[in-house]
Amino acid sequence: MVGPQYDLLANPLGAVRLTFERAMAAGIAAGPYSASDGKDWGAVPLFQDFLFDHSRLSQVPILNHETVKWIGANTLVRYRGMVQDMLGNEFYVGAHKVGSVWKTNKFSDHSQFPMDSSCESRVWERRLLYCVPVPGLNSWAEPTWDGLQAHRPVDFTSPQRDKRPRMDIEEEASGDGSSEHSPSLKKMREDGHPSTSSQCQDSMTVESCHQPTMLADTERDSLPCLVKIYDSPESDLQLNNVFEFIGVLTFDSDIPADKNARDDFSSSLCDEELVRLPPSKVPRLHCIIHRKLELPDFLCRSPVIEPNHHFVKHIREALLKHLTTIFGNDGVVAHFVLLHLLSKVHARLDNMAVGKFSLNLTGLSKESVSVFGSQLSIALKNLLPLTNFIPLTVGYLNRASLAPKKDYQLNRLIPGVLQLAEGSHLIIDETQLEAGTLNSVGVENASLLKDLMEFQKVKYDFQYYSMEMAADIKLLILSEGKSNILPADIIVPFQPSSVSSLEVVDAESLDAWRWYLANVRSLEHTIQPEMQKVVENDLVAARQTDRTLGSQEFSRWLTMARLISASFGETSLSLEHWQMAKELERLRKERLG
Amino acid sequence: MKELNLDNERNLARDFLANFADANGEAKYMHILQDVANHKTRAIQVDLEDLINYKDLDEEFLRRVTENTRRYIGVFASAIDDLLPEPTEAFPDDDHDILMTQRTEEQTENGEGATPNQQIPQEVKRFFEVYIRAPSKGRPFTIREVRSSYIGQLVKISGIVTRCSDVKPLMQVAVYTCEDCGFEIYQEVTARVFMPLFECISKQCKTNNSKGNLILQLRASKFLKFQEAKIQELAEHVPKGHIPRSMTVHFRGELTRKVTPGDVVELSGIFLPIPYTGFRALRAGLVADTFLEAMSVTHFKKKYEDYELRGDEEEQIARLAEDGDIYNKLARSLAPEIYGHEDIKKALLLLLVGAPHRKLKDGMKIRGDLHLCLMGDPGVAKSQLLKHIINVAPRGVYTTGKGSSGVGLTAAVQKDPVTNEMVLEGGALVLADMGICAIDEFDKMDESDRTAIHEVMEQQTVSIAKAVPPALLSRFDLLWLILDRADMDSDLEMARHVVYVHQNKESPALGFTPLEPSILRAYISAARRLSPYVPKELEEYIATAYSSIRQEEAKSNTPHSYTTVRTLLSILRISAALARLRFSETVAQSDVDEALRLMQMSKFSLYSDDRQRPGLDAISDIYSILRDEAARANTMDLSYTHALNWISRKGYSEAQLKECLEEYAALNVWQIHPNTFDIRFIDA
Repeated sequence: MVGPQYDLLANPLGAVRLTFERAMAAGIAAGPYSASDGKDWGAVPLFQDFLFDHSRLSQVPILNHETVKWIGANTLVRYRGMVQDMLGNEFYVGAHKVGSVWKTNKFSDHSQFPMDSSCESRVWERRLLYCVPVPGLNSWAEPTWDGLQAHRPVDFTSPQRDKRPRMDIEEEASGDGSSEHSPSLKKMREDGHPSTSSQCQDSMTVESCHQPTMLADTERDSLPCLVKIYDSPESDLQLNNVFEFIGVLTFDSDIPADKNARDDFSSSLCDEELVRLPPSKVPRLHCIIHRKLELPDFLCRSPVIEPNHHFVKHIREALLKHLTTIFGNDGVVAHFVLLHLLSKVHARLDNMAVGKFSLNLTGLSKESVSVFGSQLSIALKNLLPLTNFIPLTVGYLNRASLAPKKDYQLNRLIPGVLQLAEGSHLIIDETQLEAGTLNSVGVENASLLKDLMEFQKVKYDFQYYSMEMAADIKLLILSEGKSNILPADIIVPFQPSSVSSLEVVDAESLDAWRWYLANVRSLEHTIQPEMQKVVENDLVAARQTDRTLGSQEFSRWLTMARLISASFGETSLSLEHWQMAKELERLRKERLG
Repeated sequence: MKELNLDNERNLARDFLANFADANGEAKYMHILQDVANHKTRAIQVDLEDLINYKDLDEEFLRRVTENTRRYIGVFASAIDDLLPEPTEAFPDDDHDILMTQRTEEQTENGEGATPNQQIPQEVKRFFEVYIRAPSKGRPFTIREVRSSYIGQLVKISGIVTRCSDVKPLMQVAVYTCEDCGFEIYQEVTARVFMPLFECISKQCKTNNSKGNLILQLRASKFLKFQEAKIQELAEHVPKGHIPRSMTVHFRGELTRKVTPGDVVELSGIFLPIPYTGFRALRAGLVADTFLEAMSVTHFKKKYEDYELRGDEEEQIARLAEDGDIYNKLARSLAPEIYGHEDIKKALLLLLVGAPHRKLKDGMKIRGDLHLCLMGDPGVAKSQLLKHIINVAPRGVYTTGKGSSGVGLTAAVQKDPVTNEMVLEGGALVLADMGICAIDEFDKMDESDRTAIHEVMEQQTVSIAKAVPPALLSRFDLLWLILDRADMDSDLEMARHVVYVHQNKESPALGFTPLEPSILRAYISAARRLSPYVPKELEEYIATAYSSIRQEEAKSNTPHSYTTVRTLLSILRISAALARLRFSETVAQSDVDEALRLMQMSKFSLYSDDRQRPGLDAISDIYSILRDEAARANTMDLSYTHALNWISRKGYSEAQLKECLEEYAALNVWQIHPNTFDIRFIDA
């Protein structure tokens, strides 16, 4: 294999080209053009090995609005973002012959060697994804790179360890040293995602997220990025998925120069998107490796101890206490909110999103929202990586663009408020809503919100038709009376008995709670045959006494049971938890009176 | 790639054009060429379907044409130059012809010494345009399926037009005259931009080294109409979690002005990289933008009648039609996820199929559309059924009575946000013209709207008239009451279903494979082409059946329905729809029997209403259970054990059953076998 002749951080293309030439040389021996179809010829494993097996991921600079000012072109960077739009395919000259030698242009915008039109060449394809920073990402969940303060671009050229003393200490301390000795831990899954349990530490440094971050999120400058995807199958990267892309940064600077020429001659229908995405604002990343980020990937560190049932129970208790305090000693609401925060769409069938658990807290007025609402909002920002907030007013409904809409002039998907990443949390404050007239936009927006609540789907407007995109958004509605505009799965009247000031939470608890909320929601869940019988009989009995109960209510109860079970870290429904679900439901009904 | 022998290719093309005979034995292309010679038409569409059917098909030639289409347009054009007959009709000379005559004369004077640029390019001489059209067989590509390997090839794609440019002239051949020597110089233009010539290159000027100044002659140059458009993938072709892709299409000459934004089209065309010249080529770097050079345009139609069956669908339908159980199979495939309700689904299926409209000699129209009214408790899947139906119907509109007051039915003038054109925005009924209009929550509708609907249902016209609401009910061919029964069985069924869904993250298996909605649609559209009639010998049978229903009703003290002539028409309509499903031109007795059965079931569902009333006695309830069961099994006979089994599941005792049997036997509703106690219903 390729030795360390090439510095993968500072000159990734060198390694790409070298491996290509070697593969071609080897291929010609075996038969012509084996690597010439553009499929990976061994460059990607080289980077995987370097980044994950040798834990160099943390040395790769993070591309954001700050670092983009000085990171050099053609170096290795990583970028975290949500796929906001897909700009289709791009055909490019992937390989061409210089003299008698094949050269590749993969992962770059320019050819290293002059190319005359008569030379033999191969056209390959890559996909263009327009990515943006994840909407609603709280600052504590942002990745940081500790090279930021200490290093200037020139330093990247030598990835020697002595330049990064802090990193070394961190790596050793977090047990990475041991993983180097156990090859099973650093095995890569087939799709290129690392499965090492210490991934979290690898990808981030600890310093910045260690402080107790009880601060509200501030508006950040955000840097979109045009990511060029090679090789990986289309189904791997879907709209609204969040990824960490690692690849070569370029600024394909010929586009603006070209713009004038274009304006002179051609009609308006050319691919304007590239013209409208000036590289100064939208850098290009030629992706070598991508990994999908789920909620746990946003956490800076997992709890120190290996979580067991006892531990999970302990966290649950503490978190519930924290929530109860926030809700002025209303334990029932705290319970429901906990379940709500753990909810997730587990399956979709016939228009039904199984597992959704939207919550409507009633009994809040404009005044009480300013106390409890803002406390809740701050608390959730600290607990969840992705949080969003909609103040629902008639004016907002009439003006806001909630659904993404295709603009055919720009040939771009214009983002809407409801284009959110999977697992996002959304508070909709209906207490601000007053009587008024909705215009057509308002009516459209109201029905969008309703559809999102009912089906966890958002209709994207493509003008000639609309397309439903599946969403998985946890919706929390704050309202005075039961919200009819936003029909939630569960309505709980909020009955506080005290007002407490905001608790100070120590960093360790916060880390534990974040870990808990991000992880237990994905636990498996089964209902054993004997429990199935019990549940079925309970449902039939309930329906015999109350004919208004239908499959929707039953489905909700089973979701509650699952969430309660998961909140204890269990993967199988026990009688105790089923009864707890029924009891919670009884308490809730009592309040609804 | 092997170098083409152009002469050989031209001979192949010429042989095909000259000798191809279509299904009627006509020399299709020679006819077209004659029209071209007579200046009646410009476009010559070479259909590869014809090449496939050509008696001397050369597979390799076909492949070469498909893979290098642009080149072959030239090959076919020069073959046509050879073949073009003399005009048989006089046509007025236009400027072009006069110019041509002059040029030809000059050319002969020029003689041999002319440089290539002085020879008149064939392009200037030609009056015609050649298009090569992809074979109509086979599924068109979606945009994302067109990969780099298709560059240069003829492909067929489907999509929706999202943008269109104006039609502009595109220079095809630039013609210059030299100030010094006076010769005409020609320059063929193959790209969007070109570098004009400034210095004369004629032999004369070259020899004299005079660098003659060239003047571009716009009038003499040849221009082509040119239009650019964007097409986008259809929603159904976009994989989950992805954004529709788009593609640039170039239309030239006769193909311009064929599409407008919003059109759903199938295009065949050549997938090409955009050629860059000069400065642009230097800067373009590695990336090649691509476009589709359109060769043919076909618009998709949305109505049943225009639904074109694809090759494989035709076969599938033929196979299905031979299946004796097709009626049940189709019905079950409607909303397969909704459990039970077989008869309602059958009624909905017949609604989709409909009966042919009849126009009597005196001008009176008898509608063929079936109207169906579903009523019932909340949460019994009425809305789901409706929504599924409109998905199957090509022009289905779903609206709810609550939301559709006024706007749903009236038409409004609105500005189209895309084209900025003023358009007539139809209400639900207008949009559903010739299709299905599903109105949910009919009872919550405005009185005035209901009146309008009444009119539409009967006369199939939209106007304002007054009507009495009960009269509206008689316009429905079938009324159905779906009740939520308070029995343990169905509750347990529901509980099991919910638990199963949560446990397995999927719906319980259906026990059969439902037919795809597209197949359903194709089958129905095929069935709708038939106009079955009632044979003479059946008329008597229907009349008897009708009168017996009338008599039954007269006997009863509390009639639940009002059998009128409308009922008779309904029977005929339903029978005709059933005959259509069998692909039969005549209505059979079995169709009439099934129609009668459905009407009876529909009535039964209304009777059952009584049972839900509080204070309903056990005996009546047992009777309705047995009657429903008999109706469901479509039988007049019920065994005693079976009856006992059924009523005990509903919580009644054997003693109660016996009491019921006696009581109703006395009313002459059924006969009881003296020994076995088996039940035989007396035909109603």
